[in-house]
Parts: sequence; C-alpha cells; structure tokens
Amino acid sequence: MRFPRVSFPRRMILPSLLLVLLIGSMFAAPLLTSADPLQIAISKRLAGPSWAHPFGQDEFGRDRLARVLYGGQVSLSVAFLASFIATAIGTFIGLVGAYFRGPFEFVAMRVSDVVLFFPPILLALLVVTIFGPGVYTMIAVLALLYFPSFSRIAYSETLRVSSLDFVEASRALGTKPRRIVFSTVLPNILGAISVQFSLTAAATITVESGLSFLGLGVVPPAPSWGQMIRGARAMMEQDPLGLFVPCAALCVTIYSINLFCDRLRDVLDPKGLEDGKDSVSPTGKNGAAPAELADGNAAELRGLTLSLSRGKKAEPVDLVRDITLTLPRNQCTALVGESGSGKSLTSLALMGLLPSAIRPSSGHIAIERKSGAPVDLVSLAAKEAEKVRGNDIAMIFQEPMTSLNPVLKVGAQMVETLQAHRKTTSDEARKTCVAALDRVGIPEAERRFESYPHELSGGMRQRVMIAMALLCEPKVLIADEPTTALDVTIQAEIIDLLRDLRANQEAGLSMLFISHNLGIVADIADRVVVMYSGEIVEEGPAGDVLSDPHHPYTKALLESMPSLHDEKHSARGDRLGAIAGTPPLPQARLSGCAFRDRCPIARDACAETHPDLYLAADATRAARCLFAPDAANALKEAVS
Amino acid sequence: MSRPLLEVVGLTKSYPISGKGFFRTGRIPVLRGIDLTIAPGEVLGLVGESGSGKSTLGKTVLKLAELDAGTVRFDGRDLASLSKEQLRAVRKDMQIIFQDPYASLDPRKTIRAVLSEALDTHKLHMGERREPRLKELMEMVGLSPEFLGRLPHEFSGGQRQRVGIARAIAVEPRFIVADEAVSALDVSIQAQVLNLLADLRQKTGISLLFISHDLSVVRFISDRVMVLYLGRVMEIGPADDIHFNPAHPYTAALVSAEPGLTPKPGRVRLSGEIPSPANPPSGCVFRTRCPYAMDACAAEVPKLRRVGEARFSACIRDDIPNGAE
Repeated sequence: MRFPRVSFPRRMILPSLLLVLLIGSMFAAPLLTSADPLQIAISKRLAGPSWAHPFGQDEFGRDRLARVLYGGQVSLSVAFLASFIATAIGTFIGLVGAYFRGPFEFVAMRVSDVVLFFPPILLALLVVTIFGPGVYTMIAVLALLYFPSFSRIAYSETLRVSSLDFVEASRALGTKPRRIVFSTVLPNILGAISVQFSLTAAATITVESGLSFLGLGVVPPAPSWGQMIRGARAMMEQDPLGLFVPCAALCVTIYSINLFCDRLRDVLDPKGLEDGKDSVSPTGKNGAAPAELADGNAAELRGLTLSLSRGKKAEPVDLVRDITLTLPRNQCTALVGESGSGKSLTSLALMGLLPSAIRPSSGHIAIERKSGAPVDLVSLAAKEAEKVRGNDIAMIFQEPMTSLNPVLKVGAQMVETLQAHRKTTSDEARKTCVAALDRVGIPEAERRFESYPHELSGGMRQRVMIAMALLCEPKVLIADEPTTALDVTIQAEIIDLLRDLRANQEAGLSMLFISHNLGIVADIADRVVVMYSGEIVEEGPAGDVLSDPHHPYTKALLESMPSLHDEKHSARGDRLGAIAGTPPLPQARLSGCAFRDRCPIARDACAETHPDLYLAADATRAARCLFAPDAANALKEAVS
Repeated sequence: MSRPLLEVVGLTKSYPISGKGFFRTGRIPVLRGIDLTIAPGEVLGLVGESGSGKSTLGKTVLKLAELDAGTVRFDGRDLASLSKEQLRAVRKDMQIIFQDPYASLDPRKTIRAVLSEALDTHKLHMGERREPRLKELMEMVGLSPEFLGRLPHEFSGGQRQRVGIARAIAVEPRFIVADEAVSALDVSIQAQVLNLLADLRQKTGISLLFISHDLSVVRFISDRVMVLYLGRVMEIGPADDIHFNPAHPYTAALVSAEPGLTPKPGRVRLSGEIPSPANPPSGCVFRTRCPYAMDACAAEVPKLRRVGEARFSACIRDDIPNGAE
C-alpha cells in the first residue's frame, strides 16, 4: 500500500497544527506554568485572573490553568487510549467476521449486539460501580462501550469491499486470506474507520468528563475536565469562569479532533480532491439572449463552446469546442463518439442541464417549443426551464433505474410528470398514463401502472421511461445511450419501438440519439454526427457516412467493430483495425488536428493547421480532415 | 483429441434467496447441469443475456464460488478434492479478468504492487529478477514500464483493463476466464484489447473462457461458442457456424438482434421477457419466448443433440429457419 505521494497536504496543515498545539500544551504543562494543580490555597479561593494565575483559581484556590492543562492530559490520554483500543478490537472483529463469514460472523456480530443492548451510561455506571472508579477502569469501560460501533462499520465496509473485483482477483491469484484482509481490505476501509475514530474520540472525551462529573471517573483530587466542571457547578453564579474554562477546553479539543480526522479521510482517498467543489453558481437569468432558430429545425446549437472552470488559478478547459449541430424537424440525428468526446455534454446543454462548473463560453442554443417559439434552456431561469423540460423537450437515459424513483410506483411518477405540465384530474391523468404505457408496448398496462420500478425488468423500465418522456407529447426527444445497458434482444425491441413511435407521433418528433454503437445508429438515424475530442469531425446522411466515411476517425471506428467484420477471426490471424493510443484529455489536446497522433494518414501539415469542417459540394456532408475528399476543393476555394 | 484442460460435468449452482413469508428461504437455480470442456490453447466463448448465469459459471469453474453439484476438473484433477494448499498452487494456472476496469484494481495499490502481489503469492521472479519481469509484463500488454509506480486512477479504462490482463498473465497461467473483459470499453479500445488477447493466445497458447453478451465479439475471439439461457446450454459449436448458421432459435434471435450496418432479412423477434430464474418454464426454458414453440416443448427438458460437426443444440425441432439465409 502506498499513500499518494504528497509532501504534506495543505489541507492537513491547519488541523495538524491545532492538534499538535493542543496536545503539546497539555503535555508541556510544567513548562507553561509553574503552578501545582493540587496546591490548595483556601485564602485565594475563587480569585479572578492574575499574572500568576491567568485563568484564576478554583473553589480550593488551586491554579485553574494548571488544572486545565494537567486535567487535559488525563482526559486526552483516557479518550485516545480507549478509542484506540476500541478501534483495534472493533475493526479486527468486524474484518474477520465479514471476510470469513460463517461462525466468525456469528460470534463477532452477536458479541457486538450484546454490548449494544445495554444503554451505554448504564453499562458504564455498572462497570465503574463494580470495579471502582479510576483511570484504568475508565479506559476499559470506554473501550467496551465503543468497540461495537467499530465492528459494525468495519463489518459492513468489509462486506462491501470484499465483493469488489479486486478482492476477487486477489483470491483468484491464491493470495493468502491474511494478506488479503490486512493489505487489501483493511486499507480500503480505513477511511470510514477514521471518521468513526474521530467521532468516538470526541464522544469518549465527553463521556469521560461526564463520568468524572458524576464522581465515577478520575478520583479527586487528581484534575480532569469533568472534575473541574463538577467543582465549578456549585459556584457558577459567582464564578462563571470556572465553568467556562474546562468547557472551552472540551469544545476546542473535540473540534480539532473532528477537523483533523475529516481532512485525513480526504487525504487518504487516493483520488484526492481534484474535482473540487462546484466553483460557478448556476446562471439564473443573465439577460436571456433571444434564441433564434432557422426554419425547419427543431433544435440548434451554433458555435457552442462549453468550458469547465477549474477554480481561480487554472485556465478553464474547453470540453466542447465550437459545435454547430442542427436537429432537422422530424428527423433522427445521431451523435456518435467515444466516452469523453463531449457528446453527452452537448445533449445536456440542449436540455439546460449542464453541471454547474461547466458553462457555455460562446455560442447559441435554441430549441423549438410546441408553440413554435425558440428557447435557450441554459440561460433560462430555473423555473421557466422546468416548464419547458418534459413538456417541449424530453430526455431518456442509459440506466432507467437511476432515473426512476425507487420508492414511488411507476404510475404515481408518471402522473406527477403529467400534472406538472398539464392541469388534469387524477382520473384523466391515470387514463392518459395507462394509455401511454400501452403505447410503448407494455403488456397489462393497468397492472404495471401500480408496479414499483424494481418489479420491472430493465427493458420494461426503459419502456416506462420512454412512455414518461413522451407523456406531454414533446417535439424533441433526446435519447442518451438508451439501450447500452440492455441485452441485445431487448435492445433491438427498444430501437424498433423508438422507430415506430417516431413514425406514429402525429405532431412529429425530432430526435437526438446519442450512441457509441454505429450499428444501432445505422438502424435508427437519418443523419449522423461524429464527435472526437469535443469537436464534430464528420457529419452527413447516416447511410452515406457509414458506408463511405470521409474522416479517418469514422473509418477507424467502423474498422474496429467486430460486428461489422464477419469475415475476420482471431484464430486465422486476423486482427481488428484498432485505433492506437487513447483519446486526448481536453486539457492536453494536440495542436492542429486533435486526432493526428492516432491517425494512420497523418502528415506534417496536420500538426500545423487545425482543419475546418469542410462542406462537401452537395452540402449534405462535411468532414474535419485536410485529406477528406472535399477538403481539397474547400482549400482551393479558400485560396482563390 | 488430447486431454481437455478444463472439464466441467453436470455443474449445478443456485443462490439462496429470502422467499415469501418471514422465515422461509428458497434457492434460485442459476446453472443447471452444465457440461463443457476446454482444450489446451482453445478459446471457448460463452454468450448469454443477463441472468443467464454466464458470470456465475466463470466464477464457479475457478472455484471462486462454490457449486451445488457436479465436478470441475482442471488438468485432470477434481478441484473439490484439493486441499487448501493444493488449490492455492492450482490457482497459479487459472486466472480471471474482470469486466469493470474501475472496480477490478485496488485504488490504493500502485501497478507495481498489484503485479507484485501476483508474483509474491506464487514466489515467482523473486529478488533481482522481479523488476525485469514487471517491465516485461507491462510491455506485453502495451503499457510503458514507467507507469509501474502509478495508481489506478491515473489510467484510462482501456489502460486499466491492460493492467488487469497483466495481473492475470503475470503468473503464467494456462487458463484465463475473461468475464465481460471488453464490455465496458469504448469500441476503439475494445478492439485494442481483443487484439491483445488474440496475440497473447497465439504467443503463449493460453486457454480462455471468454464470457460476453456480445455475440460478434465472442465470434471474433473464440474457437467454439456456447450459448447459455436461464442456466442451461442452448447450443454449442464452432464460432463461425454458430454465428452464421445458428441451429437453435434462441441463437438465431441473438444473431438477428445484433445491430449491423445493413438491415438483416428475416429478423427473429422474441416476445416477452426473460422469465424469472426462480420460476423457470417447464420443459425447454426458452419456449415462452420462442416463436417456434410447440406443445411438446413444455413436456420435457430438451437434451443437447448433435446437429453437425462438433455442434450440439438443445432444440427438439429440425425445421427452424436460422435467419442466416
């Protein structure tokens, strides 16, 4: 195991400093004050702060600073020792119980259950009464009280981690169980344990103080914070400082520990905090630019650039660059590309659902509403946008389970969607929804209306999503990889369904279909738009582009699909036409053509010029490549 | 034919579920009487939709999951008869590659630690010979040896999958289960990984059980293909034959549902949903969705019967159009 190689994370500086200062001052008490915490001076009882006694003196005239510092030593030692013991025992029990299961699990979990059975303070009182008060009893009691919470957390975390593939991989390698548990599982549950530790350390300090307050903890006259509060309580009206000092010490200590553990957990996470928080607030209405829409188009993006802001220090990164995408009315336009190509972001921009750190830095967005008026959802105020989404434009996603509410019946969710946009009685709404379910080919629509999402299969859920999306008869439908999570036979059915729906929608339905699968695209799309590294690299009628691609990337994509190469077989020495390398990250795009490092036909010129999207002579297709058939003409024209 | 490397006979496996009522529990059968063999150097493709039991089969033959009945023989030895120590030694010869390149690597271990764990476990390439071996492994899977010190989150999905493959081949196994190993990857990366597996197989003569829901990927990489539906074998035979000339109506439906650039004539459409494995249909498990089902299909479970050279199909009808013409 290795922690991320960071010298000393900046986020840890403040909490570490605080903690070191706190613990240091307590254990350096003899250096900070010469006063003896036990030295009684009756004549000076309840004396206010002075140079010799900065925090004043208590009810016996003892120096309060000394008592708070020496008391802190006791409180902290007890709390940390008890927490450590509880952590060690609890984690071990939970780990072993969850990893080995069977009898281990039974013993581990029942022991914890028995302890959890007792009200904690009662248990503490019981033990203290039996063994008598004192520091060691206290540590034992606190450890006993708190280990079950660790064993519980370790148990559930271990169960989670054990089911992950990398643990399975270790088992498959024949790694000894001991090594798997301690070098693979344990580091991965430490995050949760450390959070629990911080809570426990804080809680034990309070409980320790509580017990001392009740006279069951540290034996007087030895100082402890609980003791101090107990002593000061009787005099609190004459001498509020007596109560304030130990209470303040408690608060500061607990806060420092929590802060430290919280930050520690973040730092231990190997992914770190690179993502950071959303730094840009969502736009409300920034003087919503009037949206425009060319005739015959249901939606348009013109020269759209989407930038991810990376805080104040770093330059924003353009995730999507200068995209012009049009959705001709009543056609299906497919947006094709690999993950990270920006295709999903483009569709989210149309919906006005961009994550808050991503903003359009230039360009126009427009969608046609049912009324015919164009609208830009990104710049629209949230309330206004909600009226448009679901009503004029709808979207279906890859995994229907995550977009359906698992605790609400399918019917209830549909009715809610419908009533958000349309005033209907619940009877009418129900009828409309059942009809919609029926239309997407759900058998026994009446019964399915009353089903919960988990009672439906993946294919059925996607049908429900489609029914919901089309409830208000939107004119534009965005489908983001709607069949990727489905089995092939179900996928074929859903594609058929979408095609039929589009043909039968009376008011017409324009669709943006996002996919990485060119086979499906060929099946459903009229036009295809290929994206690579945030740019459109080729577009045109689906049949033409797929049968005769102009851009080398499109060509390579087609080459790499085994389903399009029935003649090839690995045993005969055939290999697929893979594209070497990986797509560039948006912050590390190449100069010139973004595809050139993976391109089989790249020349020097590709590094020098950033190719345009060259329009073919018949104006139906375009490709962003210097060597595309139409590029030569375009270049010539540009020169002449 | 030489002795098979892996031989599975009558493998049956079920998972416990909580049934209706508070205390009653039941068991869902996932695999029912699976027989299969894999010869040294052979790639057997395993296709099926979700719920068919294909992943469970992969884990059961590696003894990562326990079986209810049946035997798994690896290199002639029954895995159930092995002691813990013997099993650990056998594990060197059989490995697994997972689907999800994000879940299959410990986020806290460097690539060096991941690969070293594999080698340490079987005491391979210890001491000075370790570093060259790690570099060699990285090169075999097409990664730069400089990446050894990096953590998994610094890699892309395709690169992680290569690390997963490097971990599997580090101990020089003779058999690997590739469980949806390319399904989560982008097409261009998927092709890279498929080519890598094809090369590996050619160079090292390793056997693969290649599990996928994508018939065309399986056809490309496998010598033989086995089609699984609801825990039963529907059809098994040479890859190209299965794909271009399916004998079982379910295989025909799978093939014709594959999206392709040109529309396929005579598409076989299935009706309805995959039945719940807890309550499978009597007789042929596929009959509820089969367009050619007859009364006789419900009567008894159809046996796999020979329908051609090294081909077997579990369908009682001979007059099924296979969508290939």
